[in-house]
Amino acid sequence: MLDVSIHTKFERSYEFLRDFSFYLVKEEAAGFGKKVLVLDYVVPTPLGTSWGLGGTCVNVGCIPKKLMHQAALLGQALQDSRKYGWQYEEQVKHNWETMVEAIQNYIGSLNWGYRVSLREKSVTYLNSYGEFVEPHKIKATNRKGQVTYHTAETFVLATGERPRYPGIPGDKEYCITSDDLFSLPYCPGKTLVVGASYVALECAGFLAGLGMDVTVMVRSILLRGFDQEMAERIGAYMETHGVKFIKKFVPVQVEQLEEGMPGRLKVTAKSTGGEPEIFEEEYNTVLLAIGRDACTRNIGLETIGVKINEKNGKVPVNDEEQTNVPYVYAIGDILEGKLELTPVAIQAGKLLARRLYGGSSTKCDYINVPTTVFTPLEYGSCGLSEEKAIEGYGKQNLEVYHSLFWPLEWTVAGRDNNTCYGKIICNKHDNNRVIGFHVLGPNAGEVTQGFAAAIKCGLTKELLDETIGIHPTCAEVFTTMDITKSSGQDITQRGC
Amino acid sequence: MAQRLALRRLLSLAPRALPQQAPVARHSRAFSTSANCKSTFNVQDGSDFQDRVVNNPKPVVVDFHAQWCGPCKILGPRLEKMVAKQEGKVLMAKVDIDDHTDLAIEYEVSAVPTVLAMKNGDVVDKFVGIKDEDQLEAFLKKLIGA
Repeated sequence: MLDVSIHTKFERSYEFLRDFSFYLVKEEAAGFGKKVLVLDYVVPTPLGTSWGLGGTCVNVGCIPKKLMHQAALLGQALQDSRKYGWQYEEQVKHNWETMVEAIQNYIGSLNWGYRVSLREKSVTYLNSYGEFVEPHKIKATNRKGQVTYHTAETFVLATGERPRYPGIPGDKEYCITSDDLFSLPYCPGKTLVVGASYVALECAGFLAGLGMDVTVMVRSILLRGFDQEMAERIGAYMETHGVKFIKKFVPVQVEQLEEGMPGRLKVTAKSTGGEPEIFEEEYNTVLLAIGRDACTRNIGLETIGVKINEKNGKVPVNDEEQTNVPYVYAIGDILEGKLELTPVAIQAGKLLARRLYGGSSTKCDYINVPTTVFTPLEYGSCGLSEEKAIEGYGKQNLEVYHSLFWPLEWTVAGRDNNTCYGKIICNKHDNNRVIGFHVLGPNAGEVTQGFAAAIKCGLTKELLDETIGIHPTCAEVFTTMDITKSSGQDITQRGC
Repeated sequence: MAQRLALRRLLSLAPRALPQQAPVARHSRAFSTSANCKSTFNVQDGSDFQDRVVNNPKPVVVDFHAQWCGPCKILGPRLEKMVAKQEGKVLMAKVDIDDHTDLAIEYEVSAVPTVLAMKNGDVVDKFVGIKDEDQLEAFLKKLIGA
């Protein structure tokens, strides 16, 4: 029996996406002199894909996604470059295998870095599947089926999520998900992306950017939960840039016409609204991105009485990330009602360890968390969507300032004008406090980060107006935003 | 990094030119000369390491490398060539740190490539990163001579 104080249990994949999440809990806890055990086990996808230490973000999420998005952006840059005077004869082509190998090599170095990190902090690591068998005790089963038992004073669940399958014929046998895409050893070819989540749109976006024939099949709306005006603009941009959309349809069957890498698949879909309509089409690859389910079902939580939301498997916790069982905590994507973001999980984990062992009482602040969707036209936001703001404050109490803008770098390249867009939502009854920030344009993540800090400091419209812009940038548009939605004025740009 | 079990199955059906080594056959270690064949080998497991490295009467350089490591792909063949030049006075063991993580951790490998010089089971010398041929020759001569 190990004298283990914190036993962190993971199933399938780490919840600690980047570098730090569980590391920070472990490292923080280990830093406080606690003995820590980490269990990580990735249950292979239906097609056999698996990966190393580091969780979703590192292996099959943020990291490879942003790298592939970058690959697509570079393709666009090559096109723009000719307008800037670059001359080259060769036709530019993209090699999928070269890109995947480079990305996987980088991920491999991260996986190894985490192993070293854990060892340096004397954290015990087991590549085993964990399940609770009785209070304070878990059973760990490794790949070879060997079983060990471990007890601990405290447990932290960070088991994350995995892609959901629709439950139609051919889904698990022939379709891939984001779990498979980032290490796919062959170019996916003509692809159907099913779903309208940010995962679906980001993947569809970079696949199209790399030159593939991409169609997105949407059941109802794009980016549910996000500001819908921004979601529509994102979709419109993708449509004018080569991504086909089939709206209000769901797939009902996927059949294999020909085996191969890629093979040929036939998809049959049914309309969701109005007239019953059937749609049939052939694709090389079908990528399912209809949502993710929490990995909380087969880890023995019911044995020790940890309550989960039966519908989605998520774990309700109090504001100290504690479940209904006092010695079991949870962080990351499995939390009920919290944002599914890497840095949120990291922060929550770090603060949790400090509260448990460092005598701190600081809780994780989930308000005004900035995010960015890396679609071909990137979307960064912090604070409330316009819908949520109206719901919470009432339309008459808000002032929304907005503007279209044309990035300078796009002018010479001859790229779309009046497409990039920014808006801020202000609370009239609180000094025009900025309660929602939204930007659609290049480098949206970099732009949004700074404004997120300002919002945390209580940014108001006046302070924003007093801030002098940096010229020429895209972000400066927020320092000179004069036109309100309520005025009805036209925001179409006519020149510099 | 990701591995695909399905691809492994697929490859096992196709005519196989490469030795079966987990996970996907991309790590092709071709021994170019007969001298190389005798003086360089891939460590199979912990007990193989004990037998052929720790308990070896001859000095052994251990090359800890990884498939995802660019510099390793440069250092590996270069070290093999210099080891071959020593005409059997020193041997070279190759350890893939992802396949043999326990071994890598036991020998405190943090970054790759890490090369250990082992004599009579003890680590007598070590370096991390790429070295040129002259530096490698000096490293090997020191190990043999010491």
